[in-house]
Amino acid sequence: MAFLQNFHLSPGQTIRSTRGFKWNSGPNQQQQQQQQQSQEELPPSSSPLRAKENNARPFNDTSNNNTVYGGDPLLTTPIRSEPQLQQQQNVTDFNYTPSHQKPYIQPQSGTTVTTHQDIKHIVEMTLGSEGVLNQAVKLPRGEDENEWLAVHCVDFYNQINMLYGTITEFCSPQSCPRMIATNEYEYLWSKGKGIPPVSVSAPKYVEYLMRWCQDQFDDEAIFPAKKDGVFPERFIDKIIIPILRRLFRVYAHIYCHHFNEILELNLQTVLNTSFRHFCLFAEEFKLLRPADFGPLLELVTELRDR
Amino acid sequence: ISKSPKKLPNGFYEKAAHNNTQRVVSVCKMYFLDYYCDMFDYVISRRQRTKKVLEYLEHKRAQNMSDQTLNMEWNGYIQQEHDVLRKRRLKPKHKDFE
Repeated sequence: MAFLQNFHLSPGQTIRSTRGFKWNSGPNQQQQQQQQQSQEELPPSSSPLRAKENNARPFNDTSNNNTVYGGDPLLTTPIRSEPQLQQQQNVTDFNYTPSHQKPYIQPQSGTTVTTHQDIKHIVEMTLGSEGVLNQAVKLPRGEDENEWLAVHCVDFYNQINMLYGTITEFCSPQSCPRMIATNEYEYLWSKGKGIPPVSVSAPKYVEYLMRWCQDQFDDEAIFPAKKDGVFPERFIDKIIIPILRRLFRVYAHIYCHHFNEILELNLQTVLNTSFRHFCLFAEEFKLLRPADFGPLLELVTELRDR
Repeated sequence: ISKSPKKLPNGFYEKAAHNNTQRVVSVCKMYFLDYYCDMFDYVISRRQRTKKVLEYLEHKRAQNMSDQTLNMEWNGYIQQEHDVLRKRRLKPKHKDFE
């Protein structure tokens, strides 16, 4: 847990360290061992969320279910399985750069900082192992598709906010006076219907975009918060797709114009995982067309064939 | 190619060494670690729950429970999972800082 000490948190804030990361599939024996281990650790539900849900289940008191959820959920804390760093199963080098950026391909091995071994390990494994993310984006059995897409839409919004947040120092109206991705693509912002879209600086564009998303998330008629709230008609076509299409542009701008900074900050695995997750998700539900991927089409194709 | 100098903006290293940038980068890495742990945890445990509910329903079916009751129980379970999922969307951060 040493890596936790590196994070600056306000007093009183703590980070939960009780969550387990579990390998879902693994050709590798060590992984299987780890899986068995964590299966022993995990099933007695530990998070308050699941514990609560457990209690609320109507047929919880039947004998069958008791055996299933046996044990006191509050007493068993799953221990996060130790990352096995010696595992060298084909870790994919993911620093793909579109051809127009050829000069800055790989990070030198020297730039890889050894702090945050955990996240590096996890995201590298995520990238290297087949199908973990592909599996995770699939609609859970019986779930409402709208809700699943809405949850992910908010998640990607948060991820992009985080990623862009790290480079705000380097993405200023001076450095990026226009919201572009390579010289071929410029994204204009329209402030409303009937008003012609205008060219704005990248930070301004991202600011408008994030505000625009947030306004929709806050709108009860679009993203219902109440238990019985329903999604509007054609929610996916009218809301989800436009949001994802625009969120993608922030990835495009980061990849095309700030990838070096990302490399220097050692955030490339984080960015790649996030983007790959985004693409797999969009593909799973057929949300974006190839044209929407414009400047990163090559990268996206590479990801899919991987 | 790999040896060509990277184009970094002026003053990159000063800015990168700045406390604020360092902090934002740490928070970002932390966020992703936490997010993916939580997300995989959710997806996997949800599958396990569903599997157990299906086994339970299968068991009940063998005991001649009516189809209607079975469907009601299944729908009840789905509704609960649905509510849990909705809560994840509404308060993504709150539970991380308890």
